[in-house]
Amino acid sequence: MAVYIIRRLLWLPFILLIVSFATFAIARFGPGDPVAVAAGQFRDPEVLEQVRAERGLDGSILEQYARWLSDALRGDFGESFLQQGFTVSELIFPKMWISAQMGLLALVIVFALGIPLGLVAARLSGTWIDPFIISSLLFLRAVPVIVLIPPLLWLFATQLDLLPVGGWDGLFEIWWIGGVIAIPIPDPHLYLPVLAMSIGGFGGVARLVRITALEVQQEDYIRTARAKGLSESVVAMQHVLPNSLLPLVTVIGFALASIIEGAFFVEVLLGIPGIGRFTFEAVVSRDYDVILAMTVITSAVFVLMNLIIEISYTFIDPRIRLGESVRT
Amino acid sequence: MTSAVAETPPAPTGEDAPSSLGASPGALLWQRLRRKRLAMISMVVVAIIYGSGIFAPVVAPYSYSEQNLERTLEGPSADHWLGTDRLGRDMLSRAIFSARTTLILTVAVVLSGSVVLGVGLGLLSGYKGGWIDGAIMRVGDVFGSVPGLPMLILINATTRPRVDELAVWVEEHTPLSNELSTTGGASYFTVAVALSLFAWVGMARIIRSQVLQLRERDFVLAAQATGATGAGVISRHLLPNIAFLIILSVSAGLGAIAGSEIVLTWFGVGVQPPAASFGQMIFEGSGARTFQAHPHLLVVPAVFVTSLMFAFNLLGDALNDAMRGR
Amino acid sequence: MSSQNRMLGILLGVLALLVLVVGGLSAVLLAGGGDDDGGGDGGGTTTASAGGDDGGSDGGSASGRLRLSGTDPITLDPALVTDAGSAQYISEIYSGLTTITPDLAVSLDLAESLEVTEGGLVYTFTLRPDATFHNGRRVTAEDLRWSIDRALAPETSSLVALSYLGDIVGARERRLGVSDAVAGVRVIDERTIEFTLDAPKPFFLAKLTYPTAWVVDRQQVEANPRNWTRNPNATGPYELKEWRIGERIVLEANERFYGGTPKLDEVLYELSGGSTLTRFENGELDVASIGVNDLERAQDPSSDLGGLYSSAPEMSISYLAFNTDAPPFDDVNVRRAFAMSIDRQKVVETVFMNAWLPATGIIPPAVPGYTTEDKTFGFDPEGARAALAASRYGSAENLPRVIITEMGGGASAAIDTQAFLEQWREVLGVDVQVRQTDRATLTADLDAGRLQLFNDGWSMDYPDPESVIDLKFHSQSALNDVRYENAEVDALIEAARVEQDAELRLQLYRDAERILIDEAAWIPLYFPLSHFVVDPSVEGWFNPPLVMPRLRFISIAD
Repeated sequence: MAVYIIRRLLWLPFILLIVSFATFAIARFGPGDPVAVAAGQFRDPEVLEQVRAERGLDGSILEQYARWLSDALRGDFGESFLQQGFTVSELIFPKMWISAQMGLLALVIVFALGIPLGLVAARLSGTWIDPFIISSLLFLRAVPVIVLIPPLLWLFATQLDLLPVGGWDGLFEIWWIGGVIAIPIPDPHLYLPVLAMSIGGFGGVARLVRITALEVQQEDYIRTARAKGLSESVVAMQHVLPNSLLPLVTVIGFALASIIEGAFFVEVLLGIPGIGRFTFEAVVSRDYDVILAMTVITSAVFVLMNLIIEISYTFIDPRIRLGESVRT
Repeated sequence: MTSAVAETPPAPTGEDAPSSLGASPGALLWQRLRRKRLAMISMVVVAIIYGSGIFAPVVAPYSYSEQNLERTLEGPSADHWLGTDRLGRDMLSRAIFSARTTLILTVAVVLSGSVVLGVGLGLLSGYKGGWIDGAIMRVGDVFGSVPGLPMLILINATTRPRVDELAVWVEEHTPLSNELSTTGGASYFTVAVALSLFAWVGMARIIRSQVLQLRERDFVLAAQATGATGAGVISRHLLPNIAFLIILSVSAGLGAIAGSEIVLTWFGVGVQPPAASFGQMIFEGSGARTFQAHPHLLVVPAVFVTSLMFAFNLLGDALNDAMRGR
Repeated sequence: MSSQNRMLGILLGVLALLVLVVGGLSAVLLAGGGDDDGGGDGGGTTTASAGGDDGGSDGGSASGRLRLSGTDPITLDPALVTDAGSAQYISEIYSGLTTITPDLAVSLDLAESLEVTEGGLVYTFTLRPDATFHNGRRVTAEDLRWSIDRALAPETSSLVALSYLGDIVGARERRLGVSDAVAGVRVIDERTIEFTLDAPKPFFLAKLTYPTAWVVDRQQVEANPRNWTRNPNATGPYELKEWRIGERIVLEANERFYGGTPKLDEVLYELSGGSTLTRFENGELDVASIGVNDLERAQDPSSDLGGLYSSAPEMSISYLAFNTDAPPFDDVNVRRAFAMSIDRQKVVETVFMNAWLPATGIIPPAVPGYTTEDKTFGFDPEGARAALAASRYGSAENLPRVIITEMGGGASAAIDTQAFLEQWREVLGVDVQVRQTDRATLTADLDAGRLQLFNDGWSMDYPDPESVIDLKFHSQSALNDVRYENAEVDALIEAARVEQDAELRLQLYRDAERILIDEAAWIPLYFPLSHFVVDPSVEGWFNPPLVMPRLRFISIAD
């Protein structure tokens, strides 16, 4: 197993190399460059040329890429044009952290509610409750986030005046009781974004859990457990859930990895200074260094997560051996 | 999230699932499916929306671009069943033409990306194994690992001008007069290809894992022993057995692709105005203040999109159930 | 089954890990949150203290504290700034020799007196004796010379320094790295500095009001060339107290400010976006801008916003531009036909709810030289068809393909473009195609002359018609992206550059403007207006038509 892991890890640099070069080339072959965008309405060709040279944006693509690579290997991802005077790392990581906090919270809620709902649906398979749960969750999943947010804002912020219209103020707000006891309550700025991010997620998780649970329930040992007279909750917890774990791990793993990408629409519509919004702005203004750093970091995280998922399979189901048929 | 691009449907985890279908999986599947009322309703919904898309020029009461600046932002009335937008265009007609856009786009992406690339590479990878398998899966790692949305925007932004120029060139040198660029053909094409680049990975992985199991089965081994060629084994023995998987992935993917159009159009790299698309309608109607003042601008496209995606979701779910013998 | 036990173990382990992670995370965050709160408010039974220091929960405004909305500045370095969003902060934190007053006159700021000699070629400024940096250090003529030299130095990589300082002798050479100093800038003594221009240009003083010419602290910049703008030591009425990217910027009054201590103690900019009007109504902001959807309500005097609303012109113009090199728009009659077949008045009324004014010319309101009379082509279908018939194409069928390009995504302009498309089709029978691109592609295509017809805008940075007529239409100007060439217009512009009589000079620009409109180099569309509501406690608020220092004029009533 160790050999396999090492082999896969050795792949990582190559993947990153390919991804970074491809991104680099696509970004640079496309029309436009960050200097012209940054110049705004004053685009004097002579000055633009000069600045391009000063910022190391002249020369062939290979030359530029080599320069970027050698800097990146030393941990210097360059400087942003969108926020001058800050290094790319100084900008990306705080924003990523904000997005990740929000994403993680939404994820915890999605799984905390989605898994039990899926188990309930599976247990009540055959009654009207099962399709009711699943289809109502699937309905929520069918509503695009962009469509969801304006009505949510209208309802909670404008009509009921319960929640702020947007912004970010950290995860928790502290209630002091008698100045001694501190109770952290989630910051009200969080409710709408987390709601918008999680509402579509329940359906997928519940459906997956339900399907796998139904599958497992037909297996002999579950029937045996039931026959032994074990209570339903015990059967669900001890036998059904562990066996449904395999596909769940995949979903959780990738969902975890994707929180560092941020949630663009939620961030834009609710004014959250996250990474999704920033990446988009970087893309449309060809902020090369930011785009590159983002793709490289995301790729690395996804590749590693893929590996972690594969490894976790072998723990969950000893019959699976690494490097062979890996089921997704 | 990468899931904006294409979502892998929950794959069957047990080996028993496909094999229990026996000789003619398709017929059996259809039989089971027909017993499900929800699935049938979903199919009807999809059929209505897609059908109105196909026959949009006939069905729609107005043209999608016909403006009447005297009657802007009206609510539903006898003339305009779903009201009018900021330029006095009929919302119903625009929604119907948007359905047409969605239809073209989903079909184009599925045909080009998920199915051809995904099935082909998945089959190859699973059947051949060895270094071919390794290579395909590693390439898949690369495409699966890059952040989909930013890359899509980047690719669209950078290649769109070239594709447009190409379309113009083709039109000027062939009898096609304005067919490609005015109908938005070129923009569909760019969007479809870009989406496909990322949509094939999930499909290929699923197909591969299925093929890995199938190729050890008796009938495949027997065929190989009797000297059947690789292509023969694939087309005669493997493809029929994974057809259901393809259908399943496609139905799950359609909803996601329809959703991607909205996202891309929002970024201005999707379908170009004045061609109508749901993404555009939603863009024009969203914004908290706009919603407050003129809710129908958002509600109309939202109802269409949600019903379509909901129908696709339910359908995928039902298909999945049916394939597991329920 | 042993594998069952093992799975259960793993499951429990995963759960335990999750609990640990979440617990640990919240503990860490809790500690962080506690710092924010300082000591928390003790006493009381159950007091909720707002997590951050947003004053919203205090109700009303704290004395002398103004709460605005803003965006993250791209840079806080005055030598580099190219966008209005950043300039808004820079013009409060820094200052320079000249400034713009609320009535849009150019006046002295850091300078106490000015002498113009040699027929307008030499400008000699004397600095105020009381001008200091935030840290108390006196501002000297050498500080100014160094700041201007730095703005032009190749190492600074400024994209705009030449646009504003290029009239000084030797500036171009310095920017392009040919010389090591700006020949036309000379320090006479500690408080006197002299500029020599390449021609007697009356708009030089106006150009100096742009931040590129302002003072920075040499010691600070040299000590920390990369990060100094995070806590700049400058000469403006406000100091940067706090900047949390994406969250807020707080400016604090500079008590040493030579113009007298500003009346506002603190100015908070909320950077997070979202609907500012809703925040205003929730009492979180003192000023909010009004969008098209709320305009009717705000303008209704009997509504809750009625008494708080006002609007102001902006020194900018939105237009459709023709590439006069690209067929069919190299034919003036085609351009006229396109201009005459759109009904801007109607679009402004129905689509924009009169939020903007239909443009009456090229020179926007509030710029000297602006006249209220409408000089543009009106909506004239007959005239449009006649113009098209008079063109070398004769009719719509013979026209080559026409594509209009505009920036897509998040831009609200698309809706009026769609209206124009329909009007061109109805009036002229021309099917114009739209192409939306992102910002970078649009700029690149524009600069390369690849576009035929595009939707764009222009904002003035100083109140002088030179900043639009000369920059955008002189045949030699680098910014002439419509590639317009007309010897008569060039002659008028060149005469205006050195005309010392103010009234005559404006007349020259007006003459040029008239030709430009008649030749339809642009179709002027709208003069944008800003619409806003202001809390009654704010005194002296104004929305200037261009970015300029204004916080020093504003106060908050108790």
